[in-house]
Amino acid sequence: MPSSLADLRPGARARVTAVEGGGGLTLRLLEMGFVPGTVVALVKVAPFGDPLEFQVRGCHISLRAAEARCIRAVST
Amino acid sequence: MSGGGHDAALRVALAGNPNVGKTSLFNELTGARHKVGNYAGVTVETREGAVAARWQPVRAITVIDLPGTYSLTPMSEDEAVAFRCLHGEGEGGPPGLVVLVIDAANLARNLYLAVQLCELGRPLIIALNMMDVAAAAGVPVDAAALSRCLGVPVIPTVARTGEGVAALVKCIGSFGHELWDMSEVRARLFASELPAAMVGHEPARARWLLAAQAGGTLELTGASAAERAALAGVPEAQVEEMAAAQVIARYAEVDRVLAAIGHGAGDRAPAMDRSARIDRVLTHRVWGLLIFLLVMAGLFQSIFSWAEPLMGVIEGVIAWLSGHVKEALGPGLFTDLLSEGVIAGVGNVLVFVPQIALLFLFIGLLEDTGYMARAAFLIDRLMARVGLHGKAFVPLLSGYACAIPAILGTRTISSFRDRLVTIMMIPFMSCSARLPVYVLLISALFDADATVGPFSQASLILLLMYALSTVSALAVGAIYKRTILKSPTPPLVLELPPYRLPRVRNTLLQVYDRTADFVRDAGTVILAMTVVLWALLSFPKPPEPAVQVDAIEVTSPEQVSAIEYSVGGRVGKAMEPVLTPMGQDFRMGIAILGSFSAREVFVSTLGLVYGIEADDEDNVPLRKALKEAQGPDGRPRYSPLSALALMVFFVYACQCMSTLAVVRRETRSWRWPALMFVSMTVLAYVMAVLVFQIGRALGY
Repeated sequence: MPSSLADLRPGARARVTAVEGGGGLTLRLLEMGFVPGTVVALVKVAPFGDPLEFQVRGCHISLRAAEARCIRAVST
Repeated sequence: MSGGGHDAALRVALAGNPNVGKTSLFNELTGARHKVGNYAGVTVETREGAVAARWQPVRAITVIDLPGTYSLTPMSEDEAVAFRCLHGEGEGGPPGLVVLVIDAANLARNLYLAVQLCELGRPLIIALNMMDVAAAAGVPVDAAALSRCLGVPVIPTVARTGEGVAALVKCIGSFGHELWDMSEVRARLFASELPAAMVGHEPARARWLLAAQAGGTLELTGASAAERAALAGVPEAQVEEMAAAQVIARYAEVDRVLAAIGHGAGDRAPAMDRSARIDRVLTHRVWGLLIFLLVMAGLFQSIFSWAEPLMGVIEGVIAWLSGHVKEALGPGLFTDLLSEGVIAGVGNVLVFVPQIALLFLFIGLLEDTGYMARAAFLIDRLMARVGLHGKAFVPLLSGYACAIPAILGTRTISSFRDRLVTIMMIPFMSCSARLPVYVLLISALFDADATVGPFSQASLILLLMYALSTVSALAVGAIYKRTILKSPTPPLVLELPPYRLPRVRNTLLQVYDRTADFVRDAGTVILAMTVVLWALLSFPKPPEPAVQVDAIEVTSPEQVSAIEYSVGGRVGKAMEPVLTPMGQDFRMGIAILGSFSAREVFVSTLGLVYGIEADDEDNVPLRKALKEAQGPDGRPRYSPLSALALMVFFVYACQCMSTLAVVRRETRSWRWPALMFVSMTVLAYVMAVLVFQIGRALGY
């Protein structure tokens, strides 16, 4: 049961429930499509373990684990 | 419609996400003829051009190409420029009409910007681009249905081939007829609440300012004092909550539109299927990194050595020209001014053109194909340690070849502070112009046969200089990032766009734009500085010419060369007490002054001081002179230790006026180049003195 997008395994999906962290980062993540209710998949992890590649709203977005941790999610 | 008054052309702003073919469409519309415009206080450029006659526009139309952005919320400089242009802060007032280019294969993301533009309320036309890609990916779009849903005209286009562009121009020309009704969409969007203090302000602008306040980027928006005062009265928690609610409301509207035209909400990414397969190799943990190293090696090789023959040709032409001028005009002051000041100055500018053009060609192709985002994805972990974005890697690497193209290459970094940090780091990277200096000093003053283990001493010293420069650049970056340019590590939030074949024509146009911009803008400063430096090293002339033709043997200490007699020479001599602690004498001081025009000029200036015509390829006489030079006490004037101190000086010193000119161009102020020059020179001096004094204390 993932609590944030950073806890997903490659290939797994989750539904966004909230974006935390505040300020510019929250707004940026929301604007890139990580809005509550959206289904997101973790595509892969970069070779050095960070960042992560997600599929969201028809495109692939890369986030650092620290940023992905701001996005709360539940399994679908 | 045209806010300018004296300009009757209809002004059309071209907006769109990155990677949707907006540049292709702009080039198609304008026939690639345009001028580059800038906004005060920001370094993002906009391009402006008239719609070409081949499209037979019924009226004069000017197209303004806004930066590619995902949103209009002014969070970065790109978005701030788009925001300010649409609010009429640019030259000529607000655009009469907005054309939004969207990727038909990815509506779930692209429609967000469409909804924001509906919110703005300015007449809007949607160019539904990449219809061919969408059809091939199995997600064709019903343009008529989309038009009905949003209440704006939707024109299908394929910018790559020019398909649909005529229809788009026709639609723009019919502006003024009743094609628009965005009231339904706007009513739904404006249903979300505004704080009481903001009621009464223009609703779209009030919402954007609220978002900028939440993101802490209000200074980018050019908000008025009244607007700032109104925002300051709203509690922070309320600002954040309402800004988030707006974004959620816009995406709800996007989902409503998608459902109405029979599309899914983008749970799948059909346009990414092929790219995901390619990425199995290109971002693989082993193959991906290997290919990354190969690509970067290729890029580095191209600016480090492929540019070399072209630079040689330019230098040859300049030398030929200067020789002919000398011959045609005969000896004299004017001849010297022309050949050694002006022509040499033009040469100093043009010699950078091959490197700049090659680097921008590489960067353009990497960005256009989509690989640049993957490169940033692969290397971000390492760059984040310094506090920078993965995109800072390519400019930093380019710094090993030459700081000039590298500094111009920082334009890919979106945050201005991080761009500045990267710019301040780049001159520490040991550029190719330092190499001749290292080579001369190592070969003149170190034992060529000495070895340490399997390596020659000379190569180890060279390696040491490169290692020192790399470590110093990273340390300096980390220091700036934590002090005067303090800002959090920028969020990555990077789209990995679908791979596409590069549009070579667009890339070449961009290469031309940027190179021409360098020649025009930084070039004039470099030219002026070359002439000034020439004058400093030429005047006053000695009473009688210090003729030293064929002076292969060591110059005796009493002999005074012409360069020593000049202002520059005198300054060099006056500096001697300062130079002694780092193991140098006034001759090296003059050469250091001379190297300010370009580091490799150190070698030829030193040749002038020793009365030797130095040759780029063969420094044997100069090397011999340096090795055999003796001080008044009969001891060798230079030692391996003083050479080492001088090399360390060159690692740190910002001995390059072209770098300073480009930094001024890119930061639009003399403040940063001044800080760069002073801090680097002080650091260079301190480090060189430390090396010399510690070395001496250790008995070397």
